[in-house]
Amino acid sequence: MNRKTIVDEKPRVAGPAFTSARRLQVHSETLPAVFPVGLLVPEVRQQTPAVGQRATRLDARLHGLGQTPYIDDMVFPGMLHARIKRAGVASARIRSIDTREAEAMPGVMAVITGRDIPVNSFGPSLQDQPVLADERVFHAGDGVAAVAAVSEQIAAQALEKIRVDYERLPAVFDPLEALKDDAPKVHPPAGNVYARKVICKGNVEQGFADSDHLFERQYRTQMVEHVPIETHAAIALWDANGRVTVYSSLGRITLGRTDLARTLRMPVNRIRLVGSVVGGNFGGKNEITQEPVLALLAKKAGRPVKGVYTRTEEFTASTTRHPFIMDYKTGVDRNGRILARKVRLVLDGGAYCSWSETTLGKAAILSSGPYSIEHFHVEALVVYTNKTMTGAMRGFGAPQVCFAYESQMDEIAHALGIDPLEIRLRNAFENGSSSPTGQVLHSVVVRESLLKAARRMGWTEGGQ
Amino acid sequence: MKRRGRGIACMWYPIGFTVAANPSAATVKVNEDGTATLLTGTVETGQGALTVLGQIAAEALGIAADDVHVVSGDTDVTPMDTGAIASRTTYVTGNAVRLAAEMARAILFEVAAPMLGVRPEQLEARDRKIQVQSFPQRHLPISDVALQAQAVKGQPAIGSATWNPPTVPMDPETGQGKPFNTYVYATQIAEVDVDDETGEVDVLRIVAAHDCGTPINPMLVEGQVEGGISMGLGFALQEEILFDAEGRQINPNLTNYIMPTSLDMPEIEVDLVENYDPTGPFGAKGVGEPTSVPTAAAILNAIHDAVGVRISSLPATAEKILAAIRSKRKAIAV
Repeated sequence: MNRKTIVDEKPRVAGPAFTSARRLQVHSETLPAVFPVGLLVPEVRQQTPAVGQRATRLDARLHGLGQTPYIDDMVFPGMLHARIKRAGVASARIRSIDTREAEAMPGVMAVITGRDIPVNSFGPSLQDQPVLADERVFHAGDGVAAVAAVSEQIAAQALEKIRVDYERLPAVFDPLEALKDDAPKVHPPAGNVYARKVICKGNVEQGFADSDHLFERQYRTQMVEHVPIETHAAIALWDANGRVTVYSSLGRITLGRTDLARTLRMPVNRIRLVGSVVGGNFGGKNEITQEPVLALLAKKAGRPVKGVYTRTEEFTASTTRHPFIMDYKTGVDRNGRILARKVRLVLDGGAYCSWSETTLGKAAILSSGPYSIEHFHVEALVVYTNKTMTGAMRGFGAPQVCFAYESQMDEIAHALGIDPLEIRLRNAFENGSSSPTGQVLHSVVVRESLLKAARRMGWTEGGQ
Repeated sequence: MKRRGRGIACMWYPIGFTVAANPSAATVKVNEDGTATLLTGTVETGQGALTVLGQIAAEALGIAADDVHVVSGDTDVTPMDTGAIASRTTYVTGNAVRLAAEMARAILFEVAAPMLGVRPEQLEARDRKIQVQSFPQRHLPISDVALQAQAVKGQPAIGSATWNPPTVPMDPETGQGKPFNTYVYATQIAEVDVDDETGEVDVLRIVAAHDCGTPINPMLVEGQVEGGISMGLGFALQEEILFDAEGRQINPNLTNYIMPTSLDMPEIEVDLVENYDPTGPFGAKGVGEPTSVPTAAAILNAIHDAVGVRISSLPATAEKILAAIRSKRKAIAV
């Protein structure tokens, strides 16, 4: 494409890309398009081979022009706005929910509770999470009822009119407390430990016996949120054939459609799920949240229904990162070579399983660090507590264990007087190394990455 | 007084699901003018995945990024995909896209072979041309071949394919197995100033050397690294959801849950470590999640280097660091 030619053809467009409406009128015969598309095509996107090019993103220009339609920008005729009432108590039996006053409010078009949901449970591995809590509340962010109204304000006011009678139940918030036999059970009759993973290789006790030095410490990490700029958002609408379309900020539409089909008890082919452009995911939008609620409200009201989480709901009613309690014991020889490592991980799973099994598995496998260790043992548990559910978040447990194994690596280096870079180079995986699960690794570049970063930082031996 | 320190952290991270099947499907349709449309069930979550998938399709067809239109994220239109999770899009969906594009390309080669007087396996697709390998002067524009395929031969160049990373289940007792098909590796080094009178940490500079196999789009890899570091910074120093005694969050808002802003961001220098994974599309692996994995560890090691205290629970708030400095001073004084 010859960019210069295009520029020359439109001399009157010179200046700001956007012209005023008046200027557009004046030059209407020469300015058919509002956007000077030809001017802005970056040449790199035209080049071959395509791989390796610093091609600008397909969506960059639309973002830059403010033209990207996010869910909250989308409007359908007659569309209603939904809000969900949150429990505010962490553990309780629901004796009754009275929605009559809310339903009688002008502008309120539909109200539902957990009892209106055909199959009121979901989850990627264990289906332990209700779409709306019906019999029991498991954490304070649980939804207990939902309203669709002509405006968000009316929907919010209607939530205040819904009366829920709770019978408070014992709760447990600390994962180590939850491990005890006499701890309140979050999901009775099941115990609080809902997944466990063990990996063992070699003989870790023998490895400790052979070691010159032993290092032991407990590391802990906290609960954090994904905090996407765009909170969870979706719109549900039905057609006259009884087919439902859901626009959603979900990152996994195939699984989302499966979950919708299950919770709504509908065949998959009667559901269309459209993944919108997402304003940040980071793992927090990997499963359904309010989509079945919106679909049922829309069905009941006979109108499209939009739901957008408030920032508070994004914190209290969507998944978060697992807090970890990590006990690390490592045996090394006098050269700083790791001979044995024993790890115990306790993950605070919050009220529901969500992606905990995946997080547990990845954390356990990765807990060795990128190091060849002959004798290795890890036991990892994830335990229910009556807190916000923890789930998928960028790294699935890896940032937590990396904090532990790399902190301990520095402690070992410091104690033995070895440079932190050097001790890592001595222990790093290389091509053909065996992972903690006995997998032979390929395309390994731990050393190369260490050396490259050290060179860039100007890291010098001993001097750091 | 401000004390400077440096800390290093490296990591490994797998691509795709742990053992569980996580397939992707893709369809590539070559239009009659040699441009193409890619259908994928994954969703753009801001990371630039669709751009990368478009580049992969373009590479297999020998055309440019702009020649591929990407349609995504509609269960009525696009084939199934396990989705934007587990750093799997470039690797798993990318392999499906590559295979689908190669199937479409095979049709173009079949049509072009008699036109160029060679066998299909002697052809290659490059620079918007179908050409004879080692004899690039014998070529046809891809547009001519695509038109011939559709309008004359009645054989439009369309390919559909699926891909799922091969794994071996882990033994339930010992955990031995092959849970992932491949991993990426990275190192980050942080340079910080710690004020030993207030405990406040200022992260000045982070260098990040990341492996992602072949970087399909180096600019987008750098973007991922910078974004990942900002998340790692918040995890290291500031962010924490707090609960009251009744199990209710007390800071569920951006006033009291403190995230890093652009003003907190250090200078970031990104190096891509040269690598090629033969199991990935054109050697690519992935980079989404690993970028935020070593950041907190590097910062915490830098804090130790600066003021000699080891904070073993995150976040390393100024209060925690100051308390650790004071108790260390007390211990020395005694």
